[in-house]
Amino acid sequence: MREWMASTGHVFREPTGQPNYLGDENHPFPANRNFVSDPVLSEEAREEIWRRVVKQGEAIKTVSANFSVDMRRVAAVVRLKEVEKAWEREGKKMATPYAKAVMSMLPQTYFRDGTGAHEPINEIHVHSHTMQQIFLPTSESRQFTREDAAKAFGDHILPADKRVPHPELITLEKDLLAGKSEHEAKKAFENRAMESEVKAAERLRKKKKAEEERMTRVKASRFEFRFEDVNVDDAGKDGRSRRGTGWRYGVPFYDRRRGEVKIPTKVE
Amino acid sequence: MVVKIRLARFGRVNQPFYNIVVAHARTARNSRPLEVIGTYDPIPKKDTYDDSGKLHKDIKLDVLRAKYWIGVGAQPTETAWRLLSMLGIVEPKYRPGPPQAPQLPDPPKKTA
Repeated sequence: MREWMASTGHVFREPTGQPNYLGDENHPFPANRNFVSDPVLSEEAREEIWRRVVKQGEAIKTVSANFSVDMRRVAAVVRLKEVEKAWEREGKKMATPYAKAVMSMLPQTYFRDGTGAHEPINEIHVHSHTMQQIFLPTSESRQFTREDAAKAFGDHILPADKRVPHPELITLEKDLLAGKSEHEAKKAFENRAMESEVKAAERLRKKKKAEEERMTRVKASRFEFRFEDVNVDDAGKDGRSRRGTGWRYGVPFYDRRRGEVKIPTKVE
Repeated sequence: MVVKIRLARFGRVNQPFYNIVVAHARTARNSRPLEVIGTYDPIPKKDTYDDSGKLHKDIKLDVLRAKYWIGVGAQPTETAWRLLSMLGIVEPKYRPGPPQAPQLPDPPKKTA
């Protein structure tokens, strides 16, 4: 160890201010080539994302497409930035030296002059139903499209065109091919992205409203009692359906079985 | 046999959770009931992004079935009565407010 520190290891003695991995670039563990240290969003990049979404009011999809950052990551950045700003307003102390130290050891993405790419954004999630091999006899003269392929995997499987996270990007390319100017096509893309975002927000609002309508709130003691109206018939004919209300009778409850996720998976 | 609306305790140690059930009075607490009409989670909870410190309890109930069972003579237990009275399905037994003077029975009339 001492020998190694004196010879090849001396470069790891002090932090260099940039990633300094034992392996080559992006491989912290030389023996494990499968472990790749992917770049993280730099502080400035996150600030820029927040500014675009909150200050300039751009759609999350637009920002995601511009910087090639996953939609969910854009949303997460905005949420966390909001928390950070709230803490700043409250005068809470930040752990800036710690953040700087950690960030300096990781590869980062910077958005120089308003452009950049962080990660692939239009990847289709592989549904487990689509991982089987199916031999489906079909007529040679028949058009077999992606929709047919989806139907072959299952009635509830959507075709790839519908499962893609950014269908607007496909339309953008089609517009460009059809001879629209780049400016025009981009404008149309932004509009469509905003439209889809507004639609999603509306869907969420409706769902919330429907939930609220099924709820009766009674302030009975120091607690508020929230009564949700349910239907006993959801339990099915034998009373064992999973959609039914309450703990089920005569059915094992596997919440403590080995392999079950026991830590909370969402904030509540 | 008397039909009761009562709670059946499920959940874990220190983590109670109740099914609101309609069952015959003389059956065991957690035996299969006539019907499960709802659930009662007695552990107070906070809303996700609420810092006000207000707590709430979640109850699920099939109100229509509860009314039906009351209508055919099912007898709620004290706790079940308290929950049902919040929705106006039964008359509340205890009303918030100043305590009322107990009504004394009339003194027996002397017949001479």
